[in-house]
Parts: sequence; C-alpha cells; structure tokens
Amino acid sequence: MSERLYGILSKVFSVPISQINDKSSPETIENWDSFNGLVLVDRLESEFKVKFALEEFQDVMNVSDIKRHLKNHGVEID
Amino acid sequence: MSKEPSLSDYVERDRELSVQPFAKTIRIAVMSSFTTNGIEEILRVKCAENNIGCITYFGPYNQYNQEILNQGSNLYKFKPSVTFLILDTRSILGNIFYSPYSVSDVERKNFVNHKIEELDSVIRTFTDNSDSKLVITNFNIPVYSPYGIIESKTEYGFHEMVRELNSKLSEITKKYQSVYVYDFDRFVNRHGDDNVFDYRQYYFGDIKIALRYLPFFIYDLMGYIKAITGTSKKCIVLDLDNTLWGGIIGEDGFDGLKLGPTPPGNAYVEFQRYLLSLWQRGILLAINSKNNPDDAMQVIRDHPYMVLRESNFSSMSINWEDKVNNMKKIAQELNLGLDSFVYFDDDPVNRANVNMRLPEVLTVDIPKDPSQFVSILTQMNDFNVLKITEEDLTRGQMYLQQKKRIELEKNATNLDDFLKQLDIKIKIKKADQFTIPRISQLTIKTNQFNLTTKRYQEEDIRKFSQNDSVLIGCAQIEDKFGDNGLTGVFIIKKESPLEWEIDTFLLSCRVMGRGVENGMLGYLLQKAKNEGVKKIKGRYIPTKKNKPCEGFLSCYGFKQEGDYHVFRLDDYIKIPSYLVVSEE
Repeated sequence: MSERLYGILSKVFSVPISQINDKSSPETIENWDSFNGLVLVDRLESEFKVKFALEEFQDVMNVSDIKRHLKNHGVEID
Repeated sequence: MSKEPSLSDYVERDRELSVQPFAKTIRIAVMSSFTTNGIEEILRVKCAENNIGCITYFGPYNQYNQEILNQGSNLYKFKPSVTFLILDTRSILGNIFYSPYSVSDVERKNFVNHKIEELDSVIRTFTDNSDSKLVITNFNIPVYSPYGIIESKTEYGFHEMVRELNSKLSEITKKYQSVYVYDFDRFVNRHGDDNVFDYRQYYFGDIKIALRYLPFFIYDLMGYIKAITGTSKKCIVLDLDNTLWGGIIGEDGFDGLKLGPTPPGNAYVEFQRYLLSLWQRGILLAINSKNNPDDAMQVIRDHPYMVLRESNFSSMSINWEDKVNNMKKIAQELNLGLDSFVYFDDDPVNRANVNMRLPEVLTVDIPKDPSQFVSILTQMNDFNVLKITEEDLTRGQMYLQQKKRIELEKNATNLDDFLKQLDIKIKIKKADQFTIPRISQLTIKTNQFNLTTKRYQEEDIRKFSQNDSVLIGCAQIEDKFGDNGLTGVFIIKKESPLEWEIDTFLLSCRVMGRGVENGMLGYLLQKAKNEGVKKIKGRYIPTKKNKPCEGFLSCYGFKQEGDYHVFRLDDYIKIPSYLVVSEE
C-alpha cells in the first residue's frame, strides 16, 4: 500500500517514486511547499475517500505523519 | 454536471507542458482579493488544450486597487489582453459581512453606494489606462444571515445589500464595451456553497475557492479567453438516430421514434429546443448521419414533434458514407475550418473515429442517456462571443441563402454566368459605432481570406477610425438571394501622401469565390488614385490557414518587391464588370 501513497506523492510533487520514503518531507522534496501540500491533501481526500480535519492539515512534517493520519481515518498503508 | 480533473492533475500536466508554438497567444492578468494559487497552472493547461499560449501576470495579494489606480503599475506594464478581477463578498463587505445588523438600514445603503462608487472608479481608471478586456466577478450571496428566517423581511437586509451590489455592478459594466461581469453568484449556485467553499483550506491557506472547484471556475473563465482569441465554435454537427430523436428511423420507422411529450421522447425535444436557441443567436447546425436520406428527411419535414426543421440546418449529409468524409464535406460547404465544429453523436465508435482522424473537431462525449444532453450542451463554454452582432442573429438565414446560391452555381453553365446572375452589390461602409464591433469580430475570426491575419479588439478598431492616417472600412455584400451582411474589412495605413500600405484585407469565408475581393481592392485603389497616391503596397503573411489568398495580390497585378507586393496607380485598375461597388 505504501506504493499507492508514494505514487500520489510522486505525481503531486513531480519526483521519482524511488526517491520517496517515510522520511520524505518539505526539506527533502523541493516542490513540497505549503500550496502543493494543500494540493496533496485534496488528492489524498479524493483517492482515499477521507476528510481530514484542519489540525491534521497542520500536523504533517513528513510522509509517516500522512500515514498516521490516514490510519486514523481507517486507511491502513503498511 | 460536467467533469473536471483535480487540481493536482493540472499542476502535474502544467510541469510537463512543452514549450511549443501555439496557434494563438493571449496575455492574461489576474487581480484578486485573495490567494490565487493554482489558477496559473490550470489556465496554462486549459489554454494549451485549446492551442492557445498564455502569458500570465498575477497582481500582488489583495492590491488590485493600487495596481489599477497607479498608472505606472506592473499591471499596465504587462499590457494584458484580458484582466480578471476576482473579488469576494467577504473582502468587499469587511466588518459588515460579520455584523450587518450592527448598523442601520440607511448606513447599509450608504455603504453599498460607497462601494459601488469605488468599483466604478476602479473600472473607469482601468479602461482609461488599458486596452485590455476586464472581467469582474460579482459577489455570491451568503447563505447565512444573523436574522435567519426574517432576513427577507428586513429593510435593506444583508442579502439585499449583496444583490444590490451585483445589480449595480452590472449596470456600471454595461457602460463599457470592454468590461464584463462574471456571474460568480451563479457559479456558487450551480456547484453549491458547501462545495465551492472549503473552510479548512480557507483557514489554512486563505484559499477562497476550494481547490477541487477551481478547475470548474477556470473552465468558465475560458469562455472569455476563447471569445477573445476567436477560438469559439461556430457550428454544431449532429447525428440523428438516438441523438436528435430516440430510436433508429431505418428500424423503428417514423411512428416508432421516441420524440414527443412522453419520456424519453421529451428529452430529445428539449435538446432540440436548446439547439434551436443557439441557432437563433448565430450558431450553425448541420447533420452528419448514416441513414436513407428519404427516411430521415421525412422525419425532419413531417414529424409533429421535430423542433428543428430543414431550414435550421445549414448543411445536411445524410448518406452511408464515412462520417469523417462527410465532416470534411460539411466544412467545405460551409467554408469553415474543421476547428469551428462541435460534433454530437451518441455512438462512441463514430466519435472515436472522428476524434482520431479529425482532432481539430471538438467531439463531445455524450452518455447514452438523453436526459443528460441538455446540461452537457448548456455547460459548454465554446459558443461565446464578446458581442452579439446583427450578423450573429441572422447567420442561420444567411447560410440558407448560401444553399440556394450553391444550387444556382450547379445549374449555371459557367462561373461568369453564375456571378452575373447573382447581382452582387458591394456597399463600402465607414468604421462607426454600428460597424466597429463586427469589424473587430471579423479580424479576430477570419482565417482563410486574410492577408495578414492581424487580430484587433474593438478598442484598436476605434482608435484606427479616429486616426486620419488610417483608412478603415468594411464591405456589406448583397446579392439576389439576400444580404450577406458585413463580410469584408480593409485597414490601410497612409504612410505618406504618395504611398499607402495595406495593413489588413480580409473577406469572410461566406463570400469567398465571387470576385468580391477584386471589387473591394479595386475600390481602394481607385480611391487612392483619386487622392493622388502613387503606389500601394501589401503583404501576404502566410499562416496555416490563409492559403486561399496567397496569390491574390499578384493575380490582381501587384509586383513583388522584397517582402511586399506593390501596385503602381498609373496601372489599370480592374473591377469585375458584374459587381456594383458603392460607398455609403
């Protein structure tokens, strides 16, 4: 399932999927700015049919945080 | 509801857009009272899809007032061809948005009047300083009111304030040819307040239009861009069976067709009614159908519930030939480029065939269910014009006359004979308030017989008409079958008392092939000669589409000199004897 999430990240941020791991973050991915972060949330919500809360928007430092929030919404990634 | 890819698809495709030469380019400025992230990417991708290159300028965050009021601003330096001013209810109302009833109704009224004066002055300053079209979004009426169910009983209430802002904004913009209101309130109505506004995105990043709905919003704005760049569609080509009526005439027979007051026949009737409304405002209709022509014509002529009749179709290809060939034949008959066509056909195989072999044609994906046809048609942004001209309103009639001309041509013994029988009259008219919109429209839309393909907005034409060193005019062509309307344009730059240059010379495809161009050019040369001019030079600037006028100047007798073709006015000026040219 990680693949599916990485695939989305790869598309949204235009980076090869091989360069994405759970530690990837705005520091390691150039296109990951606050706006593209929102684009990512929008994409995740429609892909996984979930709706994040405002606090979850803010509480993302890296990919594993995304996995954690998805899990809270019942989407198991690993 | 039409479909749109998500914003992330646009962002991704935007990064992959190659630098390619586009058929047209447009300079777009966006000024906004909130964050405009994402709009740029969608605009670029959508423009590219329509073969339009776009160069964008985004004004600094919420500084549209300053940018517009300061004549030296980057906005004016950018020289946009269209400017979108995207405002929102919350910003314009400020504190009143939250506390509308903290002040009296009189104060609310004064507030609205004051805001309207501000907007009026912003619009006036903009039109004084820029040739750009201006599109202003109006204000969505909030769903909430602190007064709840008695909101509508309140004297000059919160919602009435916003409605009045909108109606006054419309009134102001009617004063200006180049200013348009985009009905954002209707946009919110269509998609729903809960969808268009996502408060998480708003609190997190000042995103006022939810990212998922941003592509729909830009889709609507593309309607203006298509109209300005002259890439709107001119003709809808329709299949018959299961498209204009339910069932197959060859199998179900005249009486077995589903077309009438009961479902699903009523959905087809309704679809035809909307098509008729487009025909009435200048969109041509044509038929491309595999059928026995006699069967199909019987339905078109005699079926009691047909809304569209023979006279509504400018071209009919009802036969067993390949639909792609038919499409080309229709284009030829109507003298329109394939990129002017929209194609409606219920059969996915036919659609795929046309789509693959004629990608220029806009093939619309329609579902089997006819109840969806109307909303698909009415949500298309491809039929927009900046102004409805007299020609738009009578276009369908004109093409009907054209069909009669073609009949005459078929029966005439030779071309000269045909042209003589037509009784063509060319009336040369000045560029004035009545003709300027049409002159601009012709420079924007004419591709084939257009020597230089220079596109001019109404403001440009108006300036030419006030400039003594420019001779600008248009030609109205009439013949025994009727009036073709204003179909020719010329713009001549008087470089010196002895030498003039043809800046623009064009003829609408409707009147091509009748020697009208020689009549118009002859008139111009005679006029130049009368004013003591010694020579006129012109140029042919080749494009993908203007081959039909490539040899025009040299055939007339212009001599090639470098990049130019030159005519010396002591040479014989010919005007075809069968044409009557007059000046108004």
